[in-house]
Amino acid sequence: MTVPPLHHPCWQRLADGALSRLKTQHLGTQLLIKRIQRSPDPAATKTGEIHAYFARWERALPNEIQQLTTL
Amino acid sequence: MNELITVDAAAELIRRGVPLSLAGPESALDQLPVGNWIGGTIPYFMVAGGGAVVTEGKVFATDLSRIGEVRIACYGPDELAGIVAHAPDNGFSLTIIPAGGQAHRRFAADAASDRDAFLKPTVGWIAGVHLSDLGRAVPKVYDGRTATKHGDRAVVAYVSLPAAKMASLEIVNLFEPDGGDVLHFAETSFHVRDCEVNGRRVDFAQYLRSRGLEHGKLPLVGDFAGAHINVSLQSIDDAKGVVDLYAPVFPGVDYHFAKPVADYAAAFRARLAALDPKGVVMGCNCILNFVFGELEGKAIGGVQGPVTFGEIAYQLLNQTLVMIRVH
Repeated sequence: MTVPPLHHPCWQRLADGALSRLKTQHLGTQLLIKRIQRSPDPAATKTGEIHAYFARWERALPNEIQQLTTL
Repeated sequence: MNELITVDAAAELIRRGVPLSLAGPESALDQLPVGNWIGGTIPYFMVAGGGAVVTEGKVFATDLSRIGEVRIACYGPDELAGIVAHAPDNGFSLTIIPAGGQAHRRFAADAASDRDAFLKPTVGWIAGVHLSDLGRAVPKVYDGRTATKHGDRAVVAYVSLPAAKMASLEIVNLFEPDGGDVLHFAETSFHVRDCEVNGRRVDFAQYLRSRGLEHGKLPLVGDFAGAHINVSLQSIDDAKGVVDLYAPVFPGVDYHFAKPVADYAAAFRARLAALDPKGVVMGCNCILNFVFGELEGKAIGGVQGPVTFGEIAYQLLNQTLVMIRVH
């Protein structure tokens, strides 16, 4: 499973709150989710941040990446 | 190498150019020569034989050369954004910060707000002193490039990994939320006057006393998207009417108090025995676990390392065991 491209609509959904439904036990991902929840940044900024995170850790997070387009 | 060694042995490694992360008493770290190392004061350690206290003559040394390429940096309290900004694209930033200063407070409040914090992991610990020296001695960190010590700066060993490797930060937290009252805090702060308990504003110190929690053995457990992140109680300052904490609480996070842990050593042994040890290169545990869990002389397994005044895994943690795994 590869990370969807930045123009995929999943990133907007994730930035709008769907990221909170991701099932993960990965510490960095859990802390990122909380950071995004608490962040006052605009959705466009969050979208880029979430995409950059999963692109960076693609190899380590196959279970999480599999969920991204389903949330 | 990830073990207690003599000061002479550490000095010899430094002279040979081996990059090291060191933890030990100030009297030992003061003797070390200029070289490619960082260090922090602490006399407490978890080693194979159990919890140990070392007051002179030895340091805990982690040889970083076997992990990756190492570059040393040092940042003042106003420069902490540099920790992540200058981090390698693939690796981790092993960071030591002395307890009690601006650098400690600012890192605790701001680290997780950095947009790159989760792309370039920061891991490490908070330097401390012997508990009998609290209030008299000042925790220090050391920049080995000049063999100088600092009471309010962060030292960093940037460890770059080969492209085929990656680092992950893992924690072992014995504490589970008690499932009772839900606490919310309005501000990011180490000092709390009041908070909301189940939606009702209360005086936090009075609340602690009403529940018999003023002993401070049980931390607050924050729910960070399922990760349990502790905030430990330091003391109640009745003169100021605030509760002092060892890490800040954050708004927008649900907190519970923790359930008691009956036997810390047994609980750690069980949790660590269930973990795959492959690739774990270093770790640290919390002084409050060492004290409240009476871990001196008790072996718990897992990776050896310093017992610290705070742990870092992306952000400041309390009463938590932190590990770095390279895989």
